[in-house]
Amino acid sequence: MRATLLILLLLASGLAHAVEIIAHRGVPEQALTLASARAMFGMRLTQWSDGQAVRVFVLPDRHPTHVAFVKTRLDLYPYQLRQNWDRLVFSGMAQAPIEVADEREMLRRVAATPGAIGYVRKAGSHDQVKSLAIQ
Amino acid sequence: MIRSSLSRSSDRPGRGGGVRGSGRRCARLAAWLGASLLSVAAGAQELGAGVQLHGFASQGAVWTSDHRVGGAKDGSVGLDLRELGANLSWRPDPDWLLSGQVLARWAGDTDDGEPRVDYAYIDRSWRLHEASRVGIRLGKIKNPYGFFNVTRDVAHTRPGVIMPQSIYLDQIRNFVLAAPGIALHGDSDMSFGSLSWQLGALRPQVDDADMEYMFLLGDMPGRFQGTNSWMGQVLVEPDGGRWRLGLSVGELNMRYRAGSPDPLRPGRHTLPTWALSVEHNDEHWSVTGEYAQTTNQARGYGPIMDPNPDNTLEAWYVQATRRFGQDWRAYARYDVLYLDRKDRDGARFAVLTGRPGHTRYARDWVLGMRRDIDRFALWLEYHHVDGTAWLAGIDNPDPQRRKRAWDMVLLQAAWYF
Repeated sequence: MRATLLILLLLASGLAHAVEIIAHRGVPEQALTLASARAMFGMRLTQWSDGQAVRVFVLPDRHPTHVAFVKTRLDLYPYQLRQNWDRLVFSGMAQAPIEVADEREMLRRVAATPGAIGYVRKAGSHDQVKSLAIQ
Repeated sequence: MIRSSLSRSSDRPGRGGGVRGSGRRCARLAAWLGASLLSVAAGAQELGAGVQLHGFASQGAVWTSDHRVGGAKDGSVGLDLRELGANLSWRPDPDWLLSGQVLARWAGDTDDGEPRVDYAYIDRSWRLHEASRVGIRLGKIKNPYGFFNVTRDVAHTRPGVIMPQSIYLDQIRNFVLAAPGIALHGDSDMSFGSLSWQLGALRPQVDDADMEYMFLLGDMPGRFQGTNSWMGQVLVEPDGGRWRLGLSVGELNMRYRAGSPDPLRPGRHTLPTWALSVEHNDEHWSVTGEYAQTTNQARGYGPIMDPNPDNTLEAWYVQATRRFGQDWRAYARYDVLYLDRKDRDGARFAVLTGRPGHTRYARDWVLGMRRDIDRFALWLEYHHVDGTAWLAGIDNPDPQRRKRAWDMVLLQAAWYF
């Protein structure tokens, strides 16, 4: 019984960390609070602590990695994020995140764009991006 | 009923045109669609250098058992429900945002597709500390009112095919939608959730074809003009928006410039309003409720209008939405409007004016479903309405010919990028 619980817990934590938040190596932050991560992906927080512009990259709404990221790392549902973006974009209050087709493009764009933030299933150590923890 | 064919013809070309002039409209529509499609084909959401382009298009079909809605007459199908829009935004720097949107909208005789600037403003913001920002917006700004006012013309963002008419009355949509002015705004991210607010000073636009039907009981020879007004909203979203709570408050003002001859004297309207909004979001369910009151104070119009005491409009709705996977959703809504909360069934109004009491209320049962296919979506929506308060006066000018209980079916297809 205890062993089953342990395995379940390990599985759950494994799932929770399956998607990693990545950023351009030039951003000063090492970690984000959940509130800041939600504000950045919610397109409300537009600059890093050193003043450089945040550039948000996302996968398509139905991409499994996007769904997992929104649910496990932001603790939101994808439809909430979409509603929020549409409300801001079509009232002129903010811009939309930049959508990329797949995780390979995500890694490439985040590595190449100063101020970029995004997410992937697992960023290998060879990738030219930094990984951000959520505190 | 007084109907003036001359009033305001200059500022609303094609007004009352209905199906007439459709060739010109089709040409314009084609040009718009062409431009939109071309820009998408060029892969143009992100244009580089902080510039973005977005757009939307929708086409509706409507059948009504009675009355005229969206070009449909009793028992026939109308296709005069259409929206086209595109916006550009430029963020040259994290603290600055310039944005503007052009919109064309067709809705029966009340809107004729004339392209107009939906909003256009400049936004400068300052970071107070890591989790708080304040800013100032200047230009033609969207008025935050309830959850849905700012994007009411973008089909994908609406809670159904048509907005809950109690709170988001189409008859006075432009009046409440956006206006030239200045607004302060801010938002904060806290451990319990986020808080955002906007407070604006504005002069409302009074180009709705139905304004005089709504506030003067008919199309009069003179015209309204917006005067100094204000609107504000506070939105609290605990736990990333699992709950959303909003309070919108404002006072919209306008004066009436009498025509000659005119049975009315130059008067003024003061409209204090507030709306309370609550939403709960779960993985599969969303439940939304909004309640609003708007008081209608008319002064100085002379003996015809002055005996009318102030009346308070009361509006509320509750909607439950169930999502099935990512692509299907079904919803049910009960939407209630009373033009005078002290005379809900319109009995006193009927005695005073000889017009039917049901022109003063509407209780609308709505059932609908929506299917999302990537950036396209399709809707099917059924209404059973008891009362005729929110019917467009310009489409249904004779109150005696309105039927108290009626039905409506709407179909809609929409796309956005």
